[in-house]
Amino acid sequence: MRSTMKRRRRCIRCLGLLFLLLFNGATFAQETVVVSGTVLTEKGEVLQAVTVIATRRSDNAHKAVSAITNEKGIFTFSQLKMGEVYDFTFSSVGYETQFHKAFTVKQAGNSNTLLIRLKSQSEDLNEVVVTALGIKKSERSLGYALTKVDSNQLTNATSLNWTDALSGKVAGLNLIRSGSGPAASSKIILRGENNLTGDNEALIVVDGVVINNSSGRRSANRSDQVYATNSDNLPADYGSSLNDINPQDIESVSVLKGPAAAALYGQRAANGAIIITTKSANQKKKGHFNVRYTINGNLEEVNRHPDLQYEYGQGLGGALYYSYGATEDGASTSGTSSAYGPKFDGQSFFQYDPVRQTVGLQRTPWKAYNNINDFWDRGQDLKNNLSIDGKLGSTGIRVNLGTEKDKWIVPNTGFVRQNIGLSTNTDITEKLKLSTKVNYGYRTSDNLPAAGYGNQSLMYWYIFWQPSADVNWLRNYWAGGNGSIYDSLYKNIRFPFSSFPENPYAITNEFLSKTRRNNVTGNVTLNYQATKELSFMLRGSLDWMHDKREQDRPYDAGTRLPTGSLRKQTIYSQEKSYDFMAKYVREIARDVRLGVTLGGSQLKNKYDKTDIRADGLKYPNTPAGDSPYPQIYNLNSSLYGLTYYPDTSRYQINSIYGVINISYKNYLFTEITGRQDWNSVLATPKRTDNVGFFYPSINTSFILSEVTKLPTFINYAKLRASYAQVGSGGTTPYRTAYTYALANGGIYPDSALVSPSLLPNVNLKPLLTSTFELGTELQFFNGRLGVDLAVYFGNTRNQILTRTVDAASGYSAALINAGTVRNNGVEIQLNAKPIVSISGFNWSVYGTFSYNKNKILSMPDSSVLLRAGNIASGQIVASVGGSMGDLYGLGYQRSRDGQVIFDPATGFPKITSNIIYLGNTTPKYKFSLGNNFRYRNFSLNVLFDAQVGAVAYSLTHYKLAEQGKLKTTLPGRYNGIIGNGVVQNPDGSYRKNDVVATDIDQYYQYSMGSYNAEGSTFSTDFLKFREASLIYAFKPTLLKKVGLTSATIGIYGRDLFIWSPWPIFDPEFGTLAGSDIVTGFETGQFPSTRSMGFTLSIGL
Amino acid sequence: MRRHLYTAWLVFMTLSTLYSCKKGFEALNRDPINILGTTSDKLLAPALANAIWPGMNRNRSFTNELMQVTVAQSDGDNTVFRYAFKNSMSDYLWNAWYVQLTNFKQVDSLARKEKNSNASYQGIGKIGKVWLFSMLTDTYGDIPYFHALEGDQQNVVPVFDRQKDIYLDLFKQLEEANTLLASGVAIVATSDPLYKGEVAKWRKFANSLYLRLLLRVSGKADVQQQCIEKIKEIVDNPSQYPIFQSNADGARILWSGGVSTTDPYTSPYVNGVRAQDFRGPALCSFFLDNLIAWSDPRYVSSIPYGSGSIGRLGISQASGGGWYGVKSGYLPGTGDVKGCYFQSYDNTSTGGTWSLQQNALTGIIMQYAEVQLILAEAAAKGWIAGEPKTFFYQGIASAINYWVPNFSENITAADFTTHLVNLAAASEVWNDNLPLEGKMELIHLQKYYALFMTDLQQWFEYRRTGLPVLPKGQGMSNGGVMPARLVYPVYVQAANPVNYKAAVAAQGPDEISTNVWWQRP
Repeated sequence: MRSTMKRRRRCIRCLGLLFLLLFNGATFAQETVVVSGTVLTEKGEVLQAVTVIATRRSDNAHKAVSAITNEKGIFTFSQLKMGEVYDFTFSSVGYETQFHKAFTVKQAGNSNTLLIRLKSQSEDLNEVVVTALGIKKSERSLGYALTKVDSNQLTNATSLNWTDALSGKVAGLNLIRSGSGPAASSKIILRGENNLTGDNEALIVVDGVVINNSSGRRSANRSDQVYATNSDNLPADYGSSLNDINPQDIESVSVLKGPAAAALYGQRAANGAIIITTKSANQKKKGHFNVRYTINGNLEEVNRHPDLQYEYGQGLGGALYYSYGATEDGASTSGTSSAYGPKFDGQSFFQYDPVRQTVGLQRTPWKAYNNINDFWDRGQDLKNNLSIDGKLGSTGIRVNLGTEKDKWIVPNTGFVRQNIGLSTNTDITEKLKLSTKVNYGYRTSDNLPAAGYGNQSLMYWYIFWQPSADVNWLRNYWAGGNGSIYDSLYKNIRFPFSSFPENPYAITNEFLSKTRRNNVTGNVTLNYQATKELSFMLRGSLDWMHDKREQDRPYDAGTRLPTGSLRKQTIYSQEKSYDFMAKYVREIARDVRLGVTLGGSQLKNKYDKTDIRADGLKYPNTPAGDSPYPQIYNLNSSLYGLTYYPDTSRYQINSIYGVINISYKNYLFTEITGRQDWNSVLATPKRTDNVGFFYPSINTSFILSEVTKLPTFINYAKLRASYAQVGSGGTTPYRTAYTYALANGGIYPDSALVSPSLLPNVNLKPLLTSTFELGTELQFFNGRLGVDLAVYFGNTRNQILTRTVDAASGYSAALINAGTVRNNGVEIQLNAKPIVSISGFNWSVYGTFSYNKNKILSMPDSSVLLRAGNIASGQIVASVGGSMGDLYGLGYQRSRDGQVIFDPATGFPKITSNIIYLGNTTPKYKFSLGNNFRYRNFSLNVLFDAQVGAVAYSLTHYKLAEQGKLKTTLPGRYNGIIGNGVVQNPDGSYRKNDVVATDIDQYYQYSMGSYNAEGSTFSTDFLKFREASLIYAFKPTLLKKVGLTSATIGIYGRDLFIWSPWPIFDPEFGTLAGSDIVTGFETGQFPSTRSMGFTLSIGL
Repeated sequence: MRRHLYTAWLVFMTLSTLYSCKKGFEALNRDPINILGTTSDKLLAPALANAIWPGMNRNRSFTNELMQVTVAQSDGDNTVFRYAFKNSMSDYLWNAWYVQLTNFKQVDSLARKEKNSNASYQGIGKIGKVWLFSMLTDTYGDIPYFHALEGDQQNVVPVFDRQKDIYLDLFKQLEEANTLLASGVAIVATSDPLYKGEVAKWRKFANSLYLRLLLRVSGKADVQQQCIEKIKEIVDNPSQYPIFQSNADGARILWSGGVSTTDPYTSPYVNGVRAQDFRGPALCSFFLDNLIAWSDPRYVSSIPYGSGSIGRLGISQASGGGWYGVKSGYLPGTGDVKGCYFQSYDNTSTGGTWSLQQNALTGIIMQYAEVQLILAEAAAKGWIAGEPKTFFYQGIASAINYWVPNFSENITAADFTTHLVNLAAASEVWNDNLPLEGKMELIHLQKYYALFMTDLQQWFEYRRTGLPVLPKGQGMSNGGVMPARLVYPVYVQAANPVNYKAAVAAQGPDEISTNVWWQRP
């Protein structure tokens, strides 16, 4: 250690000499005096080798003189001129440049001394980062890419799900949000999806506890699908405990992008890991406490709308009149959901009368009501957080309390959340240390919105609503009352038009999805330092979750549930793991240190769900004018008997591993790891030969700048390389044996059974991912510019995929081990400080860029169908030479020069009968650029990010277009349209299209509707104004007077604007699919929102 | 220190060996909910119900529209009646029936295991397979057959077989089923919603189905002789080839007639179709006008055949009163105003159990009336002995009796003689002097009503015979020609591309206008 310091000092001294040679030019024979001073770190330690430059105000900068601090941190200028005014600059690698301005040199003997404290840089080169298993390592020793995100980057502009704040801050990170309500969950993909249907997301580790598969498990209810036009319940997003983490409580987030993390975390980290460390006690003095209170409030509103048309009203086929029901004007035209009806031209028709609940007695003016978006509320969210930390005896304690209350943009939805966290560190003896962390979260909601496209969904109503109708007509949703044709109140729900959608106000007030969820995540760690060289660690972790959910449906909740329904689920999930680790570190030769770590772990995961349903409720005889709800929502009210849908999962992974670390001096580090896992999900009921698998890794880092002399503008240069393998068997059990399931929830006599529709794989093998990564980290111009570059080449073999198979095989899907997929990419992380000044204006810039290319090298068949869409045969297909996420579907027939071919008879575009390639659903490039401006106590932060190169199919767009709701469907009404393209002549040649299509509904149906996947496939490229925040930090001197140590106040906005060719809401959508969130097929997504809020933080 | 290291390593390795790293994994990864092994009786009931439903579903939305029973009144994309529908129409039956075929295959194969050997379940499994495979091949043409259902043997890309080979094998399977069922080995009554364990009736069903399939391909020159001989053999040897003797023998699941969501035998129309959708389509004038002309007991609402307010088919009068349907195949924007329609079950004043949606009788696989009309055709063509007229009348009577219990199945009863008078008024009575085409027209108009609600059979028969003669509207697509098949599901192009391409090369373009083997001359 000492020798490296020496070496470094030498280097820096060289730099100083260089400066002296350059700048210490002419000196005049004026009276010179000695000016000296000391440079300390913030903590008060002396800092040597700091370059100090003195510039005389009357000179230009070229005449500066410089000095370097010695081992005591002292610098001396002996030739400064008395009476002159100098500006001093202090700089050192790893520290922020400091200024001391306008120092007047006094007479010799007077106090010509300075005391300067240098602040360490946030990008500290000696910074310690948390890597796998909570092992702290100096950043320079890492042989793989790791991005650290600090707590303030997460809390400056918070949103409902704190993981949103990772967008644009980590190169190669792709956040997929379900966007389905206030508790919406998200999944994090690092470096592209190399496995489309299986486990492909990053491991989430909170204080050493993996939460993905227990409390962090997303779980939709069985049979609840986002595309459900059979009138059944649609899924609500109940969120996961990842959303429940209080961002104020997070100390830092480390993102390990490659599989390097897996060496220590095991197979589940094959797709990288997000390591979240929550805050611990940091008060050093006994009996003193730090107290911090933070309040954060924000408003949320819809930030983007589809372009709806308000020129034509309800009707079909360009009808010239309108009639609500059959009237003297003619037959009813009010049954349709299309808006291909009469133009709003000042005429009057018999229309719906909301008071009479039927057709009006008189004709009323035919006009547009542009108020569909009045339906959305303004979301409101308020978070309070209090933390106290201090030291009692030999124990450091931190307690964190948080509450959150949220009302979402869908009326009558939201949640309340409480968190409490406790963390302790105890020195039992000098050698034995105990630390614990426990977080408890409680979240309850009386209603979360059901997402997706189906008769019960709000977005379905949104699509089916009419430009010629007033959304306010729907507010009084119960049919009945005086003189009504309905038999009683509270039994029939009124919706004036097509019977397909439900009344949205009935949905938000009566179709309730409730949750009450408790989760505890915690660990206990014992560290024993046996000798200076040998230490042991023992840890137990627990992640536990219990959720009670309920879905209430009133009478008339669609045909599946005409007498209402009550469904209750109890979900219990738990993951326990034990880790043991022994570590031996020793200097085995001069400058060579060896570390050997051996460890083992066992984890047991358990998940149980009961789902009890009463699909049909008894209606009380005498409601007496009062609503019988919610008393009716009781399993005792079941009309037909109960059905049960149990679900369970159990698995265990045992592991042993070893790590060897070798370092030479302070610049060459090598790490070799090996791990053996045994995963129970690969066992069959008869044998266990596939369950074990071994994988090695090696990584090395080399600090070039420590060894060779580099050009002076390079302060730091690190090269790194790693090769890692990881095997994985996934975490879904019971897929290795052919089993029969209870038919239809067990309603048949004799517990009849059905064959499985997913074909199991009795020979399931672990997949194997190998990644080779090269990287470099560079710092230029005294830390004013920093670059981190990573290039990786990955290969995944034997992927575990759920493949949609030809039903002629007798099954719908099959679990396979398939093929080889290559994933290559580049990630660049950049930061720069163009303007730095001591008390004036500071400007820093940070950015990320990532590129990922995915290629399928082999597959068991020429093409493997991964996921089929619901409309127009859109599907995700994996074929050799293609890449994961390739979207295919029916599209336009095109002539050789690429023009759309139209049907000479109808004027409609012609549709292919074979599927064609429509694009890839995974973005190729993602980049972001953030700017931070600081002036005195103000700090302004703005962040933009973008993605390029992906497409997706929009179901909302297809349906809106098909029903004539979009502005793009206006051309050609009444007079017909000639599509832009060609028609084929009888001789086979093409001429410019000259055929007028008069059936406009059908024309748009063929162009963008359900016949044609291409017509509703759009680029999801976007540029987002992701974050803006303005923060004011009160002056410490001011605060001291009122007894505070710190106080900041800020305002912020998130997702303020989106620029994108995507036609419907957010191009960055995700779609709930059981426990997964998938991309590629937009299926009735909720509007995307922007949030704007304030935050106030006070420290005592 | 090095010694210490060795010791530590040794201890570590010993510990990890002692503590076995995969102990108990076999039991741990055994699904505690789903079941590893089973027997035929557990699989049969859901397989039957789940296989009937897709046919019922498509009967409503597809067959009825093509065959002018109904005319959809909904938004633009549902114009089956105009022969314009999207390719995704193809996916449903393919996916639903093939998956149920797996269950029937297992009913057969599990009953062949030594421990649970049961000849009756073997035969029933085979009948289920023949029934579904025949509907699949009649719908799509060439389909995977000999190597279908082999997913559990790692073959998920089955090769497509020629329709002729499929038919010849279906015949073989039915022969085997007939033999297996002859032994009359008992089965579990609750496993059999069709016949409550009466194995003899399954045998009649096998041979009746045999007749249906023989007749279907009897127009093909290369198999015609064989078909005729077989039909004759079946008819001439009733003890060796028993067939349906009355409506009591017909193959159908009798639904409960209730609306419970937890009764497996609630009509799937109740839980599977929304009431407003059920009453959505208008009745087509072709279907309704004949019933009116014949004062048919199935539609009349008066007692004794009807309830007084509604008839047995649950046809509701037009809003504002009146019995009229709409014409099919009209140009977009020129449709008639909706008249009569099939009442949904929620209108209990006139509908309820009288609605086809709730009606217990809609789970039809094959009716006795169809057999009689098959025999009428065979007799008219001179293939079998017997009076075509008797078969014809028995077909009519049984077809009516199926829906109208107060209408006797006996053709000598007064009900029927009255009905004959009504038919005569519309010139729909048998006349031995008519040429064969005339007789075929008579038989097939009645068969059209006998096959009402029977999956896609009306459409199959129309494709074979061109009967009944359906009026053609101005707005028809596909050149005004009845679709000859459904295209293969589009996803098969990606899921089974090599075999798909081979099938298209063998059968012809994957279009609805490409005739299947038995349709070609």
